[in-house]
Amino acid sequence: MTTLTDRYVWAVLRAVPGRQRAELEPEIRALVADAAEAHAGTGTPEAAERAALVELGDPDALAARYADKTLFLIGPRLYPEWERLLKLLLPIVVPIVGITVGAATWMGGGTQVGSVIAASLGAAFNVGVQLAFWFTLVFAIAERTGSSAVPATGQPWTPDDLPHVPQPDRLSLGEAVASVAFGVFVLVAIVWVQLATPIVIEGTSYALFDPATWSWLLWYMAALTVLEILFAVGLYLRGRWTWAFAVVNAILGLAFAAPVLWLINEDALVNPELVAAANALANGNWFGVTMSITALVIAIIVTIDIVDGFRKAWRTSRQEAPTG
Amino acid sequence: MDFDEILSGGQQELRRGTVVLACLLLLREPGYGYALLDRLRELGFTVDANTLYPLLRRLEGQGLLASEWNTQEARPRKFYRISPDGERLSAALLADWARMDASLRRLAEGDMG
Repeated sequence: MTTLTDRYVWAVLRAVPGRQRAELEPEIRALVADAAEAHAGTGTPEAAERAALVELGDPDALAARYADKTLFLIGPRLYPEWERLLKLLLPIVVPIVGITVGAATWMGGGTQVGSVIAASLGAAFNVGVQLAFWFTLVFAIAERTGSSAVPATGQPWTPDDLPHVPQPDRLSLGEAVASVAFGVFVLVAIVWVQLATPIVIEGTSYALFDPATWSWLLWYMAALTVLEILFAVGLYLRGRWTWAFAVVNAILGLAFAAPVLWLINEDALVNPELVAAANALANGNWFGVTMSITALVIAIIVTIDIVDGFRKAWRTSRQEAPTG
Repeated sequence: MDFDEILSGGQQELRRGTVVLACLLLLREPGYGYALLDRLRELGFTVDANTLYPLLRRLEGQGLLASEWNTQEARPRKFYRISPDGERLSAALLADWARMDASLRRLAEGDMG
């Protein structure tokens, strides 16, 4: 249960720079309590609290005065939104572009590690600068044309306008069960596609994976699946994403993607007999193209998953910070 | 625009800056935010809570005030008091105010100097 004061404090703190928050929180709480005490004669404690908040006024205005920023391009009305969105967008878009371009260069025949990394970093830097520039320009225009995501109602501010303090996302049991089920499903699918040999070309059935690789890949994937299940259970018990979970999630993602991408690059993942049969059927290097696309898709999915973990951890830490 | 509106605008401009001086002078005795707000209002300084509190923080940041959390009472409160730099500034501003007051009086009495 959050009180009006909690909501007020949250509304002020969200709009001031992070380093000021810890200092300001006890200060604002003390000010509200003092003002409420002064209004205590007027009726119920709730009425006194309301009167105290009305006296302190619109939390955005208070925050803007506390923040004391000299903002010429983007004013205090839009600045918090600009900061919030840019901090959210950059860490998602930049790595995806960098990794995608790096992967494309690699598959396009850039065999030298140096050139792949250079292309990747160059693209990431470019898109970061471009994104920040155009994004800021849009906000600068919005600042000057008066358009706003927060419409000015012209009504005096009242405590009823206070936003609700968002509760950190509680992971549902369903999500945990789904990710455990998915891990088991993938493992079973891998085993099935290898042992039941459902791939049939010209009357001959083939196992999907290179037998030499399969001898250890099975155990590796099985171990990884167990770890993923433990991770899902641990995450469910903890109830929400933390930085530690985001790091473990990243390690697990890389532990899956790195060997698979390496095997694809070494032509050691897929059964060579199957490759020969498929290429003969398609009359060309059909399998090479398919595996390049597969590698790219795996790289993108794992990147998104890793970034998403950090984004959730960041959101949790952000939600917990202002309310202590 | 009616006269009252113009008057309140003029008063606002005239009083801007006097709140800083009044705060510095009042805080020669340690005080906390809400008590200071009350005291200023009693003295006829019209100041909003959401102006005063950030102002106190700014003055502290400029080294004109020092602060301390008092945890001996029922609730913790942040007490401010004036610093040596604040003393110097308030003395200089007060002298400035006295000069302007004297000049305005002379003008009002028709002595165009």
